[in-house]
Amino acid sequence: MGSVDQGEPNKKKIVVAVAGNPNSGKSTLINALSGSRLNVGNWPGVTVEKKSALLNTSEAEILLVDLPGTYSLSPYTQEEIVARDYLVHEKPDVIINVVDATNLERNFYLTIQLLELGIPVVVAMNMYDEAKAKGFRIDKKSIEEILGVRVINTVATRKEGLDDLLDTVKSVELNPDKFSPKILSYGADIDAAALKTAEMIEEVNHQNIKDIPIRWIALKAIEGDSKAIEDSGLKIDNSAIEHITSHLHAAHDSDLESVMADARYGLVSGLVREALVRPGVQRVELTEKIDRVVLNKYLGIPIFFAAMWLVFKLTFDISSPFMDWIDGVTAGPFSKWSAAAMQSFGLPDWTVSLFTEGVVAGVGFVLVFVPVIFAMMFFITFLEGSGYMARAAFVMDKAMHTIGLHGKSFIPMLLGFGCNVPAVYATRMLENKRDRILTALLIPLMSCGARLPVYALFTAVFFSAYAGVVIWSLYVMGILLAVLMGLVFKKTLFRGEAPMFIMELPPYRMPSFRNLTVHTWEKGKHFLVKAGTYILAMSVLVWFLLNLPWGVEHKKDSFLGRAGQVAAPALEPLGFGKWEAASSLITGVIAKEIIVGTMGEIYTTDERANDAVKSENAGSAYNELKDISASFVKAVKESAINVFSTFGISSLALEDDEDAGGLKQLLKKEFTPLSAYSFMVFVLLYMPCMVVAIAMKQEFGTWKWYGLAFAYQTALAWIAAFVVYQGGRLLGFE
Amino acid sequence: MNLGMLKPGESGVISKLDIKGPLKIRLMDMGLIVGEKIIVKKVAPMGDPIEVVIKNYRLSLRKSEAEGIMLDCVPENKEETKWEA
Repeated sequence: MGSVDQGEPNKKKIVVAVAGNPNSGKSTLINALSGSRLNVGNWPGVTVEKKSALLNTSEAEILLVDLPGTYSLSPYTQEEIVARDYLVHEKPDVIINVVDATNLERNFYLTIQLLELGIPVVVAMNMYDEAKAKGFRIDKKSIEEILGVRVINTVATRKEGLDDLLDTVKSVELNPDKFSPKILSYGADIDAAALKTAEMIEEVNHQNIKDIPIRWIALKAIEGDSKAIEDSGLKIDNSAIEHITSHLHAAHDSDLESVMADARYGLVSGLVREALVRPGVQRVELTEKIDRVVLNKYLGIPIFFAAMWLVFKLTFDISSPFMDWIDGVTAGPFSKWSAAAMQSFGLPDWTVSLFTEGVVAGVGFVLVFVPVIFAMMFFITFLEGSGYMARAAFVMDKAMHTIGLHGKSFIPMLLGFGCNVPAVYATRMLENKRDRILTALLIPLMSCGARLPVYALFTAVFFSAYAGVVIWSLYVMGILLAVLMGLVFKKTLFRGEAPMFIMELPPYRMPSFRNLTVHTWEKGKHFLVKAGTYILAMSVLVWFLLNLPWGVEHKKDSFLGRAGQVAAPALEPLGFGKWEAASSLITGVIAKEIIVGTMGEIYTTDERANDAVKSENAGSAYNELKDISASFVKAVKESAINVFSTFGISSLALEDDEDAGGLKQLLKKEFTPLSAYSFMVFVLLYMPCMVVAIAMKQEFGTWKWYGLAFAYQTALAWIAAFVVYQGGRLLGFE
Repeated sequence: MNLGMLKPGESGVISKLDIKGPLKIRLMDMGLIVGEKIIVKKVAPMGDPIEVVIKNYRLSLRKSEAEGIMLDCVPENKEETKWEA
């Protein structure tokens, strides 16, 4: 138990779990201890983030495992269950309990529960500097005596006390028998009941009892925490327990869970009374001053919208020039070079086409998302680390709650206007799974930047005089339908108890740049590796759909074209029942801006046949390299300018595609203004793209929710387009 | 008298949690136990949720959740001003 398989064979291995309250600086402490060796993933089966790091010290290898931030070890939140399961089943050698020195009266509540698990605990008294600055006097010695644990003062942001902490962990691990936490009394009657219960458990379970913290199990049994008993694998005589607890029920006139929580907090209060001296008069804190403005009745909402606008603008304005650059490089020189290289090796044309249009394009897709994911993660981490995120949720909760969402849901929804993919990843900021899923289901109704080229093309052809109003109407339609669907989901699939909104408003703190970058990098890497693989596979699959059966001459005869022909009649009542339109919509599953590209390819197919692989102008590789670096410099410049330019969000700016001239003429023949509007409505609402699918799969561990999004959105798109087209015809529009 | 009825600046002592199930345990885990003093600091701009101070930290909860938290009213003393000034 508690050892790792990799690493040097002769070195000692220590597994250390890091536990603590949210906002205790646990994350910062882990980052500071592990440096660049941090590994971010998910706990199996849940979307709770798991961080770990392998530290190589002179005497031992230390595997740090970061447990989710929890206030308790009750079995009611996903985080608590994950933390508890890990501690009970994996039995780490040592627990580092990070406590916030400025708030001992709540943080020690978890400490007390950790001590009952029978695993050596070392307390990291973190943010010690802040406590000192507040005038707190903490008597470390008396805490150590009362609890029977070692306490180390740390300031994780400045890496103070960390060596001491690791040394203590090592020495505690060397002599686990010396670790003897004081058995804390819950009061005579509960202690007696716990003892009796423990004896009973020992009696019923002769073996398998060695490694199990029997007092903890006994206390849990008294509390009625059946999950703890179940997980321990122990047999329990329920009637005996009932017998033991019945008089407790009577004596305390309350349920036993409350009695236990009372008792634990009683212990903590006693401890804090002994060990902490607070200054007589407390100063007005900075947090208090900021909150007076930020949560002000009149200023709160405007400040929130200003902050959101800033985050949105910075995320997409900083990343979009880089996205364009990556797109340009992979679609241009990179695929050209790989095609040329493959052709020079004499490989058949289809492999060249598969590689450039399937693999290279797929890699390009993944890379294009990197800047925006990184930028988004950076700002979200900043909002969370600074303490503003909780305020944002506080300000917006009323409005979001009416459509079944959580205050924090607003932020992913807003990011959805830029790109739905980072928005789905941003749902992680929500603690509750139901909130996460519901938010992710509504995100695709936020009209993302990729839909804009479609609107731009069609409005330019059909509504050039009032393009702004038409596009605006589509955005508004998306928002209104999100409200409607939110209400529908709240009343149907997500009926039942709304998740609670019990949220700490942590003090404002300036997150360290190091912490921000570490976190951003880890999240970004996670996306690259996991989502990247899927996206690549999907891209290759779509290539096959476009190019099979073998030797297909005309796109109409490819699998995709045939699918388009099958789907076309269903689109007839919407005003665009042609296989060309249907096929374009199908390729939109890759990314919605591709619809325009496919339309270009399909509608103008005669002129362009077979030139996909041929390289057009063979500029020298040297010149192309020069171009790539020059365009990169340009992207950096643009990104910098975007940050400082006050007006206009570049990712939403309409770009007129010069190549689309021929296509525009053709569209004029194929669509009427009414069917064009109906088509745009359909594009706004129908299935989210495959990258969103992958993001949802990655976040929720199943394809189920994407399936639901796919189904309801496609139905919604059909109905909305039907209403628009048929309604418009009734009103006499064409 | 319950927590949902207090205005910003007012305080009370928790006398009972009239709530069942996970929400109750969650509240207790967060320090809302009988006998504890609780101060209402702010109401969100749209009227819900509210911000309270308990055990020296800030917590927000919805009014619907606060309504289950029964209080003994503390006679007007100046304790909350001590917190502010």
